[in-house]
Amino acid sequence: MTKKIAYFKNWIGNGPALFASGPFRDRVSVIPLHDLEKTDLSCYRALLFSSNLDQRYAFTQRDRLEAYLEAGGQIVCNGHVVRSFLRFLRPYEVAPYQNVETLRIHPATPHPIFAGVDYEDLTFRRGVAGFYSRGSNPAPEGAEVLSTISPQRLPVDWLLNLPGGGRLLVHSGNDIWMHANDNNSASRITPQLMDWLQEAA
Amino acid sequence: MSAQPLIAVLDNGTYFHHRTLHTPEFAPYFNRVIYARELDAAAVAGCDALIVLDRTNPELLIAHRQLFADFLAADKTLVVLGESNPELWLDGVESIPCPTNFWWWLTPGADSGLRLAAPEHPLFRHMTLADATWHQHATFRLPPGARSLVEIADAGSILYEEIRPGAGRLIVTSLDPAYHHGSYFMPATTRFLRGFLSWLRESLSLQRAPAAGMENVAA
Repeated sequence: MTKKIAYFKNWIGNGPALFASGPFRDRVSVIPLHDLEKTDLSCYRALLFSSNLDQRYAFTQRDRLEAYLEAGGQIVCNGHVVRSFLRFLRPYEVAPYQNVETLRIHPATPHPIFAGVDYEDLTFRRGVAGFYSRGSNPAPEGAEVLSTISPQRLPVDWLLNLPGGGRLLVHSGNDIWMHANDNNSASRITPQLMDWLQEAA
Repeated sequence: MSAQPLIAVLDNGTYFHHRTLHTPEFAPYFNRVIYARELDAAAVAGCDALIVLDRTNPELLIAHRQLFADFLAADKTLVVLGESNPELWLDGVESIPCPTNFWWWLTPGADSGLRLAAPEHPLFRHMTLADATWHQHATFRLPPGARSLVEIADAGSILYEEIRPGAGRLIVTSLDPAYHHGSYFMPATTRFLRGFLSWLRESLSLQRAPAAGMENVAA
């Protein structure tokens, strides 16, 4: 049986419609975040953590999360890192704001998740910059940087491939799937991300 | 009785609470930080006020319905910031969902719809309407005896104060400043926290002062 993807919710209700009742409901199990400690992670092909993650709690689960990654699991993290709940994570750094160019999102290494995405659609929503990201969770050595922000090209999205086949995808901003219903090329990210997670062994 | 009020605050463990609690300008207001999963009666003992920062998982707060009722009954001040569904865990709070228009300000000359309902209230010696102006996720039906501080004309209050004589003071808003300040997003939210926290501490100090004065007289 194909393993499902676990989305860890830290909110009342059934989880975001996208995963609980929407197009990906058959691929995703929604699990209360604080049940993570009693969840057999090996049953899931990927773990999704929203930017609303209780990082104090995640930090207490660090050993299990790292063991899961090292055993070939996939983890997607969003938000600003303030606690190193995986040893690959260092605290978020906001891009020092000067002008709108500070908030411009740039492509870096091409990746299937971002195929066909016009980065102008990531920089601006209704002409306003700053929704996709405003800074960087610093990338560890060996990570593949997929997109950057500001003239300093700080890593926004990065991917770390681990020797055992594990993959850690980090997005330095609001949930990367929040663009799923945008009326532009940014809506490509979520289905491409879900397909990419699905194709892993 | 010490001169300084003791303000406790709930930390839900997210990055935006972390940044709000650790902003050097604001940290001195938070005399006791309580991790939300460790909330219990002992944790709030001795506090004059408890702040539930915005976007705290209501599921967790529902489990502490009695604790919040007891805290108010002990004549303490409870502050509830936005997006934590207080109608689910506090008696006497009724929220009216409203569609959030994140984009109203893109229209030149647009009116946010917000009004100061009590411009003479001491809060507004610490902040202005502009500092409370970004967007709203809900309004509240004003409980009998409560005082609306900021409201949307004909749509309800977005910030009110309910003083229950001898039975606590409840301050409720649908604004979510910690989320946006903690996300480095929207400077008004930083100004809101600056003004609101300054007023809150002042109001708590004033609450204590008359009591201290009476003690002096009695002595």
